[in-house]
Amino acid sequence: MSEPSLLETWEGEDVRLADVEAGLAALRGATAEEGRPPNIRTSVMTHLAWVPEEWTGPAHEALAGMAERHPSRTILLDPMPDSGKNRIDAAVTLECYPIAGSERQVCSEVIELTLHGNRAKAPGSVVQPLLISDLPVFCRWRGEPPWGSPELEQLVGIADRLIVDSTEWDDLPYPYRRLSELFGRTAVSDIAWARTSRWRTLLASLWPEIADVGTIRVHGTAAQGHLLAGWLRSRLDRDDVALDLVERPTLEGIDLDGQAAPFPPGDPPAPSDVLSDELDRFGRDPVYEDAVRAAAR
Amino acid sequence: MIFGASGDLTHKKLMPALYSLMLRRLLPAKFAVVGVARTDGDDDSFRNDMKAAVQRYARDEFREDVWGDLAQSMHYVATDFADDGGENTLQELLTRCDEERGLGGNRVYYLAVPPPAFPTIVEALGKRRSAEGWTRLIVEKPFGHDLASARELNHLLWKHFDEQEIFRIDHYLGKETVQNMNALRFSNGIFEPIWNRQFIDHVQITVAESIGIEARAGYYERAGAIRDIFQNHLLQLLALTAMEPPIDFTAESVRNEKVKVLKALHTPGPKSVVRGQYGRGFIEGEEVVGYREEEGVAPDSMTETFVAAKLYVDNWRWADTPFYVRMGKRLARRETTIAIQFKRAPHPPFGETASEGLRPNVLLVHVQPDEGVSLAIGAKVPGQGMQIRTVHMDFLYGGAFRTGMPEAYERLILDTMLGDGTLFTRADEVEEQWLLVDAIVAAWQRDRPSFPNYAAGTWGPPSADDLLHRDGRSWRRH
Repeated sequence: MSEPSLLETWEGEDVRLADVEAGLAALRGATAEEGRPPNIRTSVMTHLAWVPEEWTGPAHEALAGMAERHPSRTILLDPMPDSGKNRIDAAVTLECYPIAGSERQVCSEVIELTLHGNRAKAPGSVVQPLLISDLPVFCRWRGEPPWGSPELEQLVGIADRLIVDSTEWDDLPYPYRRLSELFGRTAVSDIAWARTSRWRTLLASLWPEIADVGTIRVHGTAAQGHLLAGWLRSRLDRDDVALDLVERPTLEGIDLDGQAAPFPPGDPPAPSDVLSDELDRFGRDPVYEDAVRAAAR
Repeated sequence: MIFGASGDLTHKKLMPALYSLMLRRLLPAKFAVVGVARTDGDDDSFRNDMKAAVQRYARDEFREDVWGDLAQSMHYVATDFADDGGENTLQELLTRCDEERGLGGNRVYYLAVPPPAFPTIVEALGKRRSAEGWTRLIVEKPFGHDLASARELNHLLWKHFDEQEIFRIDHYLGKETVQNMNALRFSNGIFEPIWNRQFIDHVQITVAESIGIEARAGYYERAGAIRDIFQNHLLQLLALTAMEPPIDFTAESVRNEKVKVLKALHTPGPKSVVRGQYGRGFIEGEEVVGYREEEGVAPDSMTETFVAAKLYVDNWRWADTPFYVRMGKRLARRETTIAIQFKRAPHPPFGETASEGLRPNVLLVHVQPDEGVSLAIGAKVPGQGMQIRTVHMDFLYGGAFRTGMPEAYERLILDTMLGDGTLFTRADEVEEQWLLVDAIVAAWQRDRPSFPNYAAGTWGPPSADDLLHRDGRSWRRH
């Protein structure tokens, strides 16, 4: 991951979206140098992120380096419904990265919108004017979505893919039932599921012995435990696979009927790598959807 | 001379455009601006009023020295133009300007007034034409309300002015990105060979506004979306997209080609046209009222604020290639685009999952905002295996050229002074446009849709989606 060679910012309080567009245009003008080839804005998606205040830090961390790997327009939505104001504040950043062997730079845009008061209730109408035409929209929802709320409904209606991390949720596995209700409307990715990828590959290699497993003990997060148990139930077509969860901050190990499963090779991926992988996926993931439904049962 | 000098257009567009031209030294040395309006005032109050307008609306920074040069050439005459006294005052002022500034009798008259005021002003100007120099008359839209009124207006203008002296303004034609459509098509060898029914699946033109009718209820109730946008801007964009290469870039050559397209437009049947009216909804997170709740709008108004249509250009190049067009108020975003969607590759040799993120090639001309051109192409995702997804190659004006984008009115005012009518509509174009609109509106008299039928902040009524779904297509994503 390299640092951007050029970083320009525009900020405004109580803005209209036309101001944001004008701010972006001004930044593009400011980064174009006389006599040099034009910078390239190339994009593969619009990346939305719904980031309640408590998730601001982790969200920025996960975004670091994303622009280089997934040139896109990123729109960070910071809802502040109880701020006592009723307006939109904006900060727009243009990140440009040098292209090896060329005088040109490739530029990505990050638009951070703070939605005060009622503006947080209609985010769909806020982001629509800023989406890049004809490209897929990925929506990263930080924390547990407020199921059935207008803001979730609107963003699900816009997004081609909703990316959540059920590790960030309480009261599992109950929310999985609510999540499964969205499957028919948009493709869903779960970063907690992605973090079990290495382990699932390993467990699959234990076929056919694993077919008769009665209990899976997971030393990891609740999300990883429920998803792995759900995965086994759905793949084995058996609802009687029990989960024994030993809560840990990361996935440290798995026992099958008391026997420790071998440790998978390699290191766990970094948060931005996991998010990056999810941004490369397009269609629905039926294996994940089955695992979520089975986890909720 | 600007008729309607106290109006919105003069404040927001015309005077800022003149200031920008002055700043770039594009105005002639011998020059005067005469504002005419019914509002009381004198030269000083006019200059003060226009100074404030320039400071607020001009795209360039305000410079006292530039403004000083412009202001000293500005005069104001308060008259409703229905009495000889006002006409005489104006005539005396113009004669004085000719003598003091050496204008040689050259005149540009700008009719920035509502259509009912046209006849009186045109008759008066016709009677008192300058015996020396050239005369040019700029007529703002709307140019008529239907074919009959447009013809009547043409005949009135022709009584006193030659067609070459009449400049019917459609400010969209002055936009850089609209002119870039000609540059894109006719200065690049790669596009024109595939710019036809063999390679293009269909074309989509969107003229979307997120604003409502603002304070124009009186006008909009009579006009609706079809007369406000479809009849002029939208059909002109379509004509520029579909026209044959002109033999040169003179006004007559370009307009000859455009009018051929307009003549070839097939009148759409009722099932190929959708109209809508917005109800309550959200724009930029704020709740907004429905059209019928807007001030000055009848609570049972049947005026359309949205139109979508499937049009065909019946000629060799475009036979059976649909042009889907849509325009409206209070849509999800402000956007004017022309999207050329090419046919899919005939036999991609990749697996289904490899190309699930792949869409057909689209050449997208962004008229506003994000002015520029994008080409959507399929590219391999780096890494192992063959995964293909759509990426955009973007050319953005802001990033490629250091010069700012001129306002459309700057170009159009300058072209008028130079006598170049290429970016203005000719009488026969306007009449062809009204012919089509009249046919569509006549069909509307036979039914009464259930309005409102779309929420503010959306992309129009569901029937607009059905228009494409019936053909196995969909509107571009946003």
